[in-house]
Amino acid sequence: MTMLKLKINGQDFGPIDVPEDMMLVDVLHEYLGLTGTRFGCGQGECGACTVIVDDTRGPREVRSCITGAHYFSDKPIRTVEGHATRDAAGKISALSPVQQAFLDHFSFQCGYCTPGFVNAATVLLERLAKSPVRKEELEDTITEALNPHLCRCTGYVRYYQAVKQLVLGTPGLIKP
Amino acid sequence: MTRLGWQRALLLLPFILVVWWLFAILAGWWAGRGPAQKVQANAQQRALGRYLLDAADCAACHTAAGGAPFAGGVPLHSPFGTIYGTNITPDPEHGIGRYTADDFYHALTRGEARDGHQLYPAMPYVSYKSMTRADSDALYAYLMNQVAVNQANPSNDVRFPANIRASLHGWNLLFAGADASPVSQGNSPAWQRGRYLVETLGHCGECHSPRGVLGQVDRDRPLAGNSELGRFAAPDITPQGLAARGWQGASLREYLATGASGPAVASDEMLKVVSLSTSRLNAADLDAMTIYLLGDAPPAPGTLADASGGPDGAAQRHYFNLCAGCHGRDGGGVPNVAVSLRANSSVRDSSPHNLIVAILDGLPEHDFPGLARMQEMPGFGADLGDAEIAALATWLRQQFGGQPAPVEAAAVRELRRDL
Repeated sequence: MTMLKLKINGQDFGPIDVPEDMMLVDVLHEYLGLTGTRFGCGQGECGACTVIVDDTRGPREVRSCITGAHYFSDKPIRTVEGHATRDAAGKISALSPVQQAFLDHFSFQCGYCTPGFVNAATVLLERLAKSPVRKEELEDTITEALNPHLCRCTGYVRYYQAVKQLVLGTPGLIKP
Repeated sequence: MTRLGWQRALLLLPFILVVWWLFAILAGWWAGRGPAQKVQANAQQRALGRYLLDAADCAACHTAAGGAPFAGGVPLHSPFGTIYGTNITPDPEHGIGRYTADDFYHALTRGEARDGHQLYPAMPYVSYKSMTRADSDALYAYLMNQVAVNQANPSNDVRFPANIRASLHGWNLLFAGADASPVSQGNSPAWQRGRYLVETLGHCGECHSPRGVLGQVDRDRPLAGNSELGRFAAPDITPQGLAARGWQGASLREYLATGASGPAVASDEMLKVVSLSTSRLNAADLDAMTIYLLGDAPPAPGTLADASGGPDGAAQRHYFNLCAGCHGRDGGGVPNVAVSLRANSSVRDSSPHNLIVAILDGLPEHDFPGLARMQEMPGFGADLGDAEIAALATWLRQQFGGQPAPVEAAAVRELRRDL
């Protein structure tokens, strides 16, 4: 057992005693009660367990089912619970633009893959804010960003449409 | 001859050269023409041709990804530049449609095309030179009965002076003659057949043998490994090299047949070789290759020494953080997901080259011809520094590979793609 401190969605957790080979998704579920991050394939292939890491190379996606919790000891994390705006009492007052777009487009059905898609699309939007792409490159850029994520209800088209419309409607993400 | 006569002869010299040059062009053009050949072959001959074509792995260089079969266009990157596998369909214009069986045999074994130009030794004619005429004819009969594809050959991008094809006459004179010495001891019929399959048809030495400065195969160290050709090294496959990494006849045979055997899986170029060539060989030929590679009296496989040099906290933490999720806490791997690292052939290799490259770059998803699979492995070149990867590789080799020698950070730095 090794002591672990984490910073998740701006909040400090720990130190908690976590086995040295425990994966982050298990710590989120079993120790911290953050069950929004999904455990899918357990092999880093499906993307449901994706969290956002805001380190020097971030924001970037990391698969929490194959990455040890101790890897994140010095890296701030965002999970799907961290995107919405909350009021003083902690109640959700507004969803993030990505979350709202997925709802508006009926992008998901069972919703198991949605936390991964939300995080992937959020990382993409933040990247585009820093380095916009030309309009004709947008579809390829979205495909590249979302391709690694699997949706077994096959909601892909509506996920992609939601992200495309959101990007086009957000100033500064497309090169003039 | 008088003084005047010499001067006249000298004046004539440019004229003679021009005539000779024109004659050479005309002769080349004439040789390149000729009727398109029609070749009759029965089903049995074609089946034999197809089998030999697989054994000689022609498709690896002559069928491009997504391209028409044998229409060429596969880039082969060498230290001398990029050379493209050519169109070997029976197309008379871009392929081998005008080749006679004699022309074909000559090109295969001597490296000279029908129009007289020298092939680059990327075409393994130095290995094929010992091919039997009967096998050449069977290959020819098969190829000449395939669909002709009218697809031009991309021009090669070979640097000066290697791009002077005439210079290859000299290269051939120096290097193309002698046979590679056999890699193992043996004399049985299976061993003889295996030698032909490994050295001639399979041309294994083209990648697995060390090469000299002019790209010639080092005949004194056959199949002793070559790390210069691709991103991954072709490992030492001498009997001693194989045995040191734990290979035995049964595991080697299974690997050649399916691409995976226990903790060893084929990757990169070798996965292509297994898919296109060795997995298609019959049982007797797989036996023969294995017997030749290990010899009639195979050396005993090396035992896995316990080389763990005590706990290395930092390296072990990297392992748990980044590797154990797929390869398991104990390195045992997960079937069809992640390879076992325990006694893994690359982890046991005396050279850490391939282990370092795998950690740096990751590996694509693998589909083996034997239906096994391995999922994609992410690269960790951006996550870990040179010293961290060196420490991790050292720990892995000691823990799972019986290799006590530490891996130097300089070795990792050298292999980083962007350097």
